[in-house]
Amino acid sequence: MSAQVAFLNIKQTEVIGIPLYLPIFYIHVLTSVFCLLAGFTQFNNSILNTKPNIHRWIGKIYVGTILLFAAPSGFFISLFANGGLISKISFVLLAVLWCYFTLKAFTSIQKRNIAAHQKFMYRSFALTCSAITLRLWKVILVYLFQPSPMDVYQIIAWLGWIPNMILIELYIFKRFKI
Amino acid sequence: MKKLLVVSVLFAVLVSCKKEAEKPLAQKETIVEDVEKYKELYGNWVGDFIAEEYDTVGEFVHSNKINIVIKKILGNQVIGQNVVAGNNRLLSGEVKVTDLNEFHFEMKEPGDSKRDGVFTFTIKNDTLSGEWVPNNKNAVVKKRVYKLTKQQFAYNPQLMLPNDEDYARYMDRYDMKLDSVEYETEEGVTETYEEPVYRTASDVVTKLNSSTTLLKESDVKNLKKLELEILRNTIFARHGYTFKKKTYRQFFDPVDWYVPVSDDVSKELTVIEKQNIKLLQRFEKYAEDNYDTFGR
Repeated sequence: MSAQVAFLNIKQTEVIGIPLYLPIFYIHVLTSVFCLLAGFTQFNNSILNTKPNIHRWIGKIYVGTILLFAAPSGFFISLFANGGLISKISFVLLAVLWCYFTLKAFTSIQKRNIAAHQKFMYRSFALTCSAITLRLWKVILVYLFQPSPMDVYQIIAWLGWIPNMILIELYIFKRFKI
Repeated sequence: MKKLLVVSVLFAVLVSCKKEAEKPLAQKETIVEDVEKYKELYGNWVGDFIAEEYDTVGEFVHSNKINIVIKKILGNQVIGQNVVAGNNRLLSGEVKVTDLNEFHFEMKEPGDSKRDGVFTFTIKNDTLSGEWVPNNKNAVVKKRVYKLTKQQFAYNPQLMLPNDEDYARYMDRYDMKLDSVEYETEEGVTETYEEPVYRTASDVVTKLNSSTTLLKESDVKNLKKLELEILRNTIFARHGYTFKKKTYRQFFDPVDWYVPVSDDVSKELTVIEKQNIKLLQRFEKYAEDNYDTFGR
């Protein structure tokens, strides 16, 4: 692990000025990747039906990773996000909601409320996917408009997860008819 | 026979001794004659170095800012130097004074580089004008001309790039991308044409002084790669660095205060400048690697 790779090249003020920044940054990067992998198994009905234990175990790892590591570390680095207050607000909201949806999904299934569990897991994973959508939007915006780097950042901070939320709410609405 | 040999050798030695003894005398005479002259011509003569004869195929920059330095005139012997497009070459040659106020120079570059050539120029009143012809007959540019005026050089960290409302000024005309634009014809058919897109820098390059202020990450975070490059190279321009890259020359050559005087200014840089260069390079690298790619 280095203090000078890619993104950290423009975060040296934080890397040097805030001793906790670097370890927490790495906790966030390394744990968040695992959360994305859960998408391959957890929405797979045949795994759920034939091997419910696998679903439960991976689910617990997913929930534990987000609640204990990925979301709190995300919250912390949000406070120093590029793009100033506009992007900080977005990333803080994202971290709080991610935590909330994941926790609700967990407590729902503890109460055997499968419908609520599904809804909140859809929401939780929609936010997990912002890791990818945020970066995709960046490529698209830069390709189309060549804006200044931090202007892009302020836009993708919001564009990275708001459309995800809208899409997943539409899907939940259609599927559960609420 | 042996005696004869010894005598002849002795004679030869004596003769050569005499010759050697004569030499310094002759040199002394010329030194007495060669006093430094025309000191008013010494200094930087600066202006455009414009291609006049050239092959239609092959790449070259039509005009670069040149500085012809006249350092010493001893008798009719002249020593100087020329600085242009990242090249700093010594010049040596002769001057002939024809009229009361006209000086004709013929000055050669050392000749050990294939880009070397010969300058012939005339100084009349306040103007130095003439031509340059390369030694290499196969060079793309066969002849360059110039009309130069005297300009002092002094490092001044306060100097800034001009901000004169000319929005196209800080546009990289050497880096063009084609963007296809769709439009509908009168018949309702959709057609596309290619539109050139250049990278541009905002007027931040005329406002942020990279020589006097120690830049923070937050100062440069929102800057594009071209803006970072210009800010970094403005430091070098203030020190009179001659740019090898035409990308940078296009921004500094037209600036009035810019005088190319050296191809290495690394020893002249101040502590603030060195730190800013490091910061700007780090951000340039980040912009290069990450600006338009997947990732942050």
